[in-house]
Amino acid sequence: MILSEPQAFPLGDSAVTIKFGTERSPDLLRRIHAVAHVLAAARLRAVEDVVPSYLALTVFYDPLHATYQEMATRLVSFCRQVVDSEAARARGREHVIPVRYDGIDLDSVAKATGLHAKEVVARHALRTYNVDLLGFVPGWAYLSELDPSLQIPRRPQPRPRVAAGSVAIAAAQTGIYPLDTPGGWHIIGTTSTVMFDPARDPPSLLSAGDTVRFEPVA
Amino acid sequence: MISITKAPPYLTIQDAGRKTARSAGVPPGGAMDSFALCVANALVGNPPDSAVLEWALGGGSIRFDRDCAFALAGATAHAALSGSDVAPCTTTYARAGEVLSVQQIVGGRFLYLACSGGFDVPLLLGSRSTYLPGRFGGLDGRTIKTGDSLTAGAATADAPPAGFHCAPDLMPRYDSGILHVTPGTQHAMFDESSWRIFTEGSYRVSMASDRTGYKLEGAAIANSLGTLPSEAGCPGTIQVPAGGAPICLMADAPTVGGYPKIAVVSEADLPILAQRRPGDSIRFELISIDQSQRALKRRASDLNAVVHSAKRAPRG
Repeated sequence: MILSEPQAFPLGDSAVTIKFGTERSPDLLRRIHAVAHVLAAARLRAVEDVVPSYLALTVFYDPLHATYQEMATRLVSFCRQVVDSEAARARGREHVIPVRYDGIDLDSVAKATGLHAKEVVARHALRTYNVDLLGFVPGWAYLSELDPSLQIPRRPQPRPRVAAGSVAIAAAQTGIYPLDTPGGWHIIGTTSTVMFDPARDPPSLLSAGDTVRFEPVA
Repeated sequence: MISITKAPPYLTIQDAGRKTARSAGVPPGGAMDSFALCVANALVGNPPDSAVLEWALGGGSIRFDRDCAFALAGATAHAALSGSDVAPCTTTYARAGEVLSVQQIVGGRFLYLACSGGFDVPLLLGSRSTYLPGRFGGLDGRTIKTGDSLTAGAATADAPPAGFHCAPDLMPRYDSGILHVTPGTQHAMFDESSWRIFTEGSYRVSMASDRTGYKLEGAAIANSLGTLPSEAGCPGTIQVPAGGAPICLMADAPTVGGYPKIAVVSEADLPILAQRRPGDSIRFELISIDQSQRALKRRASDLNAVVHSAKRAPRG
């Protein structure tokens, strides 16, 4: 459900979480991404960062320059004005990411889904994915709306190390490992695109609200 | 230059952390005990957020390769410079070639060593902090090893005179067993009995505790909330997974997560929690966000008092 009024909750001394709804939906997520985008661009006093998520967005601020009550009032009113405005129609950027579909789990995914490996690749590359959320590790983007025929649970035992650039799937999502990290998703391919670089501005190639397509390459 | 002649098992460069890259999934990181970071820096004339060494898990030694003012703050450990005792939270001057040896940490957990000028490593996303899980920041994104050498930055101000120390009443009450918390974003989803267990029970810091989070052992906070749609957390967030054993997120915790958040440790008390060792007991006391933010302002003004007294101390 989408709330008629955004609601504010404190998250410790330096953040306020503004809740927009009580159940996940693509429409709710689109609104939250749009408001987060406008909010980040508005550079309000004392605001340090804006982190959108499925039901809410969280604004981090400097508590020595604004109290929670001030921030909550100001942000709820800002969000209320923006949520249905033209400014909140903006779409994120579109990315095309080249992928070599040579992942070590491609055959086991084919087996688990009952599809040929070629068909797994075709179905994975066919869709345009929404960047739902960034997190887990720097630059990791949860990409939603994986083809239902490709949806299998994550591996029972996570691998201690998955290489950066690995393209993987699990349940209803797909993603690209931005750093060498432990990981339990099924690796179906690799990309040479650098997803995260702390020396870059912005450091993450993908932002919440962007869209991604995968392009098979040899 | 500083040479690491015997590295402790854990040694990294940390500063005040990264404040503006959470939206890219980058945790704030930075010194686990932010108060000790600022005090150590003030004692050597550095800006409060300068890069320092964060030291834990054992003893070790370093050699100063040039004359340098330094100070230790945070955890308690016996330290000596060329055989003479070094007092904690005190401005100390080392001559080129002198060796500082630090014994096993006996109280608290994280010891901070500030040197005048800070440490000159690349600024990434506004910080010099080491983020070990991402292998970036600090010295090549890794812990500092025996044989490494570090370059000090240029000092921006004179350090206070030798022997200058921070008034003890301005330091946090590290021995306090009570940590203040404010209600978490899902506080209302926990029933009265859960809240009673959480605020009346006593918890121990588990062995499974590091810069990412401190697991807490004690009465389980039974709940049937499961995992919720992910949303942002912050250091100090106490989340309760299905088993009911709470976990407090710390500096390097992932920026988002789906476990229900019952409470958040007051920022003013977070250094106290950070310095708690595995096996130490803690209790939680609920306060309002207004009270918590006032406590944080008091902490900031205590810190200002330290900085100002360090600046005013007569120079030789």
